[in-house]
Amino acid sequence: MNTEIIFTAKNIAAGYKDKRILEGFSFTAEAGELLILMGPNGAGKSTVLKTITGRLPLQAGEMLLQGRDLQRMSADEKAKSIGAFFPGRITTEHMSCREMVEMGRYPYTGHFGVLGKADKSAVDEAMELTDVSSLADKDLMQLSDGQRQRVLLARAICQEPKLLVLDEPTTYLDVRYQLEFLALLRKLCRERGIAAVLSVHEVELAYRAADRLLCIKDGRMEAFGKPEEVLKDDLLQKLFDINPSRLHEEGHTELEQYAATLGRRG
Amino acid sequence: MGNRILQKEKGSDGRTRVFFWCLLLLLFLFALMLTNLCIGSVDIPFARVMCILTGTPWFGSGWDNDFVSTVIWKIRFPRAVAAVFLGGALALSGYLLQTFFHNPIAGPFVLGISSGAKLCVALTMILMARYMLVLPSAVLILAAFLGAMISMGFVLLLSMRVERMSLLIVAGIMIGYICSAITDFVVTFAEDAQIVNLHNWTRGSFSGMNAENDMVIMLLTVLCFLGILFLAKPISAYQLGEEYASSLGVNVRGLRVCLILLSSLLAAVVTAYAGPVSFVGIAVPQLVKQLVRTARPLALIPMCFLGGAIFCLGCDLIARCVFAPTELSISTVTAVFGAPVVIAVMLRRQKERL
Repeated sequence: MNTEIIFTAKNIAAGYKDKRILEGFSFTAEAGELLILMGPNGAGKSTVLKTITGRLPLQAGEMLLQGRDLQRMSADEKAKSIGAFFPGRITTEHMSCREMVEMGRYPYTGHFGVLGKADKSAVDEAMELTDVSSLADKDLMQLSDGQRQRVLLARAICQEPKLLVLDEPTTYLDVRYQLEFLALLRKLCRERGIAAVLSVHEVELAYRAADRLLCIKDGRMEAFGKPEEVLKDDLLQKLFDINPSRLHEEGHTELEQYAATLGRRG
Repeated sequence: MGNRILQKEKGSDGRTRVFFWCLLLLLFLFALMLTNLCIGSVDIPFARVMCILTGTPWFGSGWDNDFVSTVIWKIRFPRAVAAVFLGGALALSGYLLQTFFHNPIAGPFVLGISSGAKLCVALTMILMARYMLVLPSAVLILAAFLGAMISMGFVLLLSMRVERMSLLIVAGIMIGYICSAITDFVVTFAEDAQIVNLHNWTRGSFSGMNAENDMVIMLLTVLCFLGILFLAKPISAYQLGEEYASSLGVNVRGLRVCLILLSSLLAAVVTAYAGPVSFVGIAVPQLVKQLVRTARPLALIPMCFLGGAIFCLGCDLIARCVFAPTELSISTVTAVFGAPVVIAVMLRRQKERL
């Protein structure tokens, strides 16, 4: 496997005008790997991702994309090397899946955005890789959440990025589709030498899917490394302010109580 | 037959389908234009209209030649041309606003932009009436543009605070009512001589156009049309939302400014010459999207223009003829056909959400 370093963050800080949200983040993302950001709500996962995509200004530190300063790259260069997934459902009007995927070719087409032969074959290929070719003419709004995420992934792939930044791509999905989506993402990143940086809400899912984990709490890096090295009980306690053993007991009794009330009603 | 053609092309990228519809709408527009020239308070036979348009002499019976020629060239033709271009302008303005606000029921009329333009034009007319009775086009358009921009400013301010899109529309309608109320107030207390021209105009009508008006309308509308066509690519990305657009390399702020200026200018041109015309801006883009079922701006922009032209030309024909010799205001007719479309769109959205 290729181990070229795609993305490097050196001691970065970011946030909104009068409020600094993150500080002291240093990490790298290698070609073909999934780097998953993990942590409680409001810890700063989204802020990290927004800083990489340029939605939030970098307040200190340095970000490098394949050795080049990200701040100095033009919008067009960035679009050709960073693909993005934003949180929340996308809403479109009468947009077919194919039209959505074609949007990924945006940085490569001419002034009127008309697709050439190479663009069309890139679109076809991306749709085949994500298994959405059969949905090409369907309205995006008529798809299931799982199908829609695959179409969005096809869009990101045919943008031919080096780095994929995904903010909560699995939020609206059932467990089965969450696993399926992350497996597909992993396969695509491996095959194409893409580095993916993403945030995932579920601890279990993050642990399973990540090549490396970046744990965040209160805008600081708590840990960074391989999941099995990083994710120990005490880290989870620290991250989420919980006591795993007690949670287990309490959860258990609460469930039993709930079952009992249900039984009484039934 | 048409159905079979459409079926065949479903598999392709739909370009032929769009082309097919464009051609059909163009033909329809042409036919409607001729109908508009024939029908009116004086009915002129089709053959005679053709003779006058092509400049060949007419040897049949009927009205005096000079008279018919005047009716066509001085009255009906300028009016029809105005309806075509102003209708197209309204539909384009609505399309841009719907794109801008990501809201299928946005349009220059519901957002109060037309009413703002109306207010400004009315004020200018009354203030300037002392010096001249008929205002030059440039002054009218500038006043309308200023009014449109002021209303747009309010809508933008509200859109930053309002989360739900339906509330934005309500706010826009309220801005419209406020502007209309002020207009009415000003008109009530103005002297009769100052508002001679105003009364007919505030109701909305394509009547009273001349060749000079038409030239200005055509020039501005065509320029805006070309400008929008050049923005087709960033508009396509903007449909996905600001975040996606900027991640694809779109200069979102620049695009937003362009969308606002172009849509306000188009709405202003319409209001300056025809007064406020309701529902065309919302209904036509929706109907066109339903027709071609694509999100490609490069297809939708010309289709919206054609659709708006046909819609307004048709409505103007009805406004002129159904209760002749009494003429209806254009908004009366456009509302009857446009409002149900808006209701249908809202119902469909509701269903999709469930």
